[in-house]
Amino acid sequence: MRFAYPGGVEVYPEPGLTLTLGSGVTALVGENGAGKTTLTKLLIGLLRPSAGSVTVAGLEVAKITVAAMARTVGYSFQNPDDQLFERTVQAEVSFGPRVLRRSAEGIERGVAWALRACGLEGKEDVHPHDLGLSERKWVAIASALAGEPAVVVLDEPTLGQDYPSRERLRSLVRELDDRGRSVLVVTHDMDFVGEACPTAVVLSHGRVRYSGPTSKAFADHSVIQEAGLEPPHVDSLARMLGLSECVSEADVLSAWRR
Amino acid sequence: MGPDRGGARGDRRPPRGVALSSTSLVFENVSYAYEEAAREAVSDLSLSIAVGEWVGVTGPTNAGKSTLCLLAMGLAPHFFGGRLKGRVVVLEKDSRELSVIQRSAEVGLLFQNPFTQISGARERVDDEVGFGPECHGVSRLEVAARVEEAMALVGISQLAARHPMDLSGGQLQRLALAGLLAMRPKLLLLDEPTSQLDPAGTAAIFDVLAGLHASGITIVMVEHRLETLCELCPRVVAMVAGRIIADGPPDDVFNREAVQLRVGSPVFTRLAREAGLSPPWPVRLRDATAVFGRRLA
Repeated sequence: MRFAYPGGVEVYPEPGLTLTLGSGVTALVGENGAGKTTLTKLLIGLLRPSAGSVTVAGLEVAKITVAAMARTVGYSFQNPDDQLFERTVQAEVSFGPRVLRRSAEGIERGVAWALRACGLEGKEDVHPHDLGLSERKWVAIASALAGEPAVVVLDEPTLGQDYPSRERLRSLVRELDDRGRSVLVVTHDMDFVGEACPTAVVLSHGRVRYSGPTSKAFADHSVIQEAGLEPPHVDSLARMLGLSECVSEADVLSAWRR
Repeated sequence: MGPDRGGARGDRRPPRGVALSSTSLVFENVSYAYEEAAREAVSDLSLSIAVGEWVGVTGPTNAGKSTLCLLAMGLAPHFFGGRLKGRVVVLEKDSRELSVIQRSAEVGLLFQNPFTQISGARERVDDEVGFGPECHGVSRLEVAARVEEAMALVGISQLAARHPMDLSGGQLQRLALAGLLAMRPKLLLLDEPTSQLDPAGTAAIFDVLAGLHASGITIVMVEHRLETLCELCPRVVAMVAGRIIADGPPDDVFNREAVQLRVGSPVFTRLAREAGLSPPWPVRLRDATAVFGRRLA
């Protein structure tokens, strides 16, 4: 698959990007400008490939409208202000399932679940722009979830989030996984990748440099460096202590106790 | 502080070089509520930051961190209105006495969302970087020199001819910082300065900040990543619900139970606690390596 922005900037150079994302929770990491956000926009049809094709859950994205794609893929933007426009949190979060013409009870169920999972209960009547950046981010995430899509794409969900919010996000992606959804998390937060995402894709200058289990993603430091990444803090500590393949706190503790 | 505490008027400020000469930012019992807000965003805040310090500010959502920056810049209350009690003294001047424009000659605030920072009045990145000094009447030659220096420092020289609105989030954040540096501020207020950058870009910007710190510039930096905060800042202020709950070296601050419960812990502190090691727990990688290594040996 290839793509160029108007003006000719080619995002995925010859021979183009070939990538299969499995089910479960996958992290998409790489330097600023690696092509991560572009890739997510191609997944939901906001952008169309200039060559090749993108298939999501058996659907060829280019043959379907963006609105129809929204039934399958829930997407939360990097900057919540690009996404939010309703006057209350409730209206914002229910917008997706409403325009998808879900049944009244489907809307109610999806919205209630999304609000709870995102810690927005009790804030239903607040204007999204009266919330701080991190809470607006949660409104954007809840909006992506309320239609109960099979695939969820979260662009930089940890941005501006405090520690309790990151913990909430961790349990959210786990819950989505348990419900059989596929989750793609675009992030620069390697600690979060290690803790919450069992698979990782490293993108650098429009090319896939690694795709596989997160536990082995940080093994080759030259790849990590080229992609502008740094290993998770626990990986650095584990290396200093001579423990191998630790990407989460639980990994370090069990390796250290042995 | 002199007899005019709370009054903030008249010419009875302490003479230069005496009481306040070594402070960059002072909050005296400051409470502030935004216009029409039911509750205060910060309450009874007292804080004194000396010239040349690098102070990290952290805390959960709605702790009042961004409000602290807006107060120091004077945007609260000059732009946002609202109710201010107590005194905010920045570079020896009461915030009530100076407009934000006057203040911006010496103090730079990097907004949480870099998009907010861009003037919208310039069509090239380099012109945008020079916008501040131009508005302050700096000569054209001097502006050009400062623009070139600031762009090189934050690594956006190659973007000089681009339109600011065509930049990515990370590039925009670098541009916003370059615009501040071109003003040659004495005090930098940074609200999550690297939130949009990749790890390598983050490291590069922190190197720039370390250089500015070494040259004597005072830095107040809001940061959620506690590990980063502990590596960089000799002093950390932890805030919760508009109040300061701890203020001191990171090792002290993050070994307090109230901070661990309400703000969180750096990963190394958490690991040491989980592993059953005895406190004080390490907050930085090198200390954690030493502590865990000793037990392995």
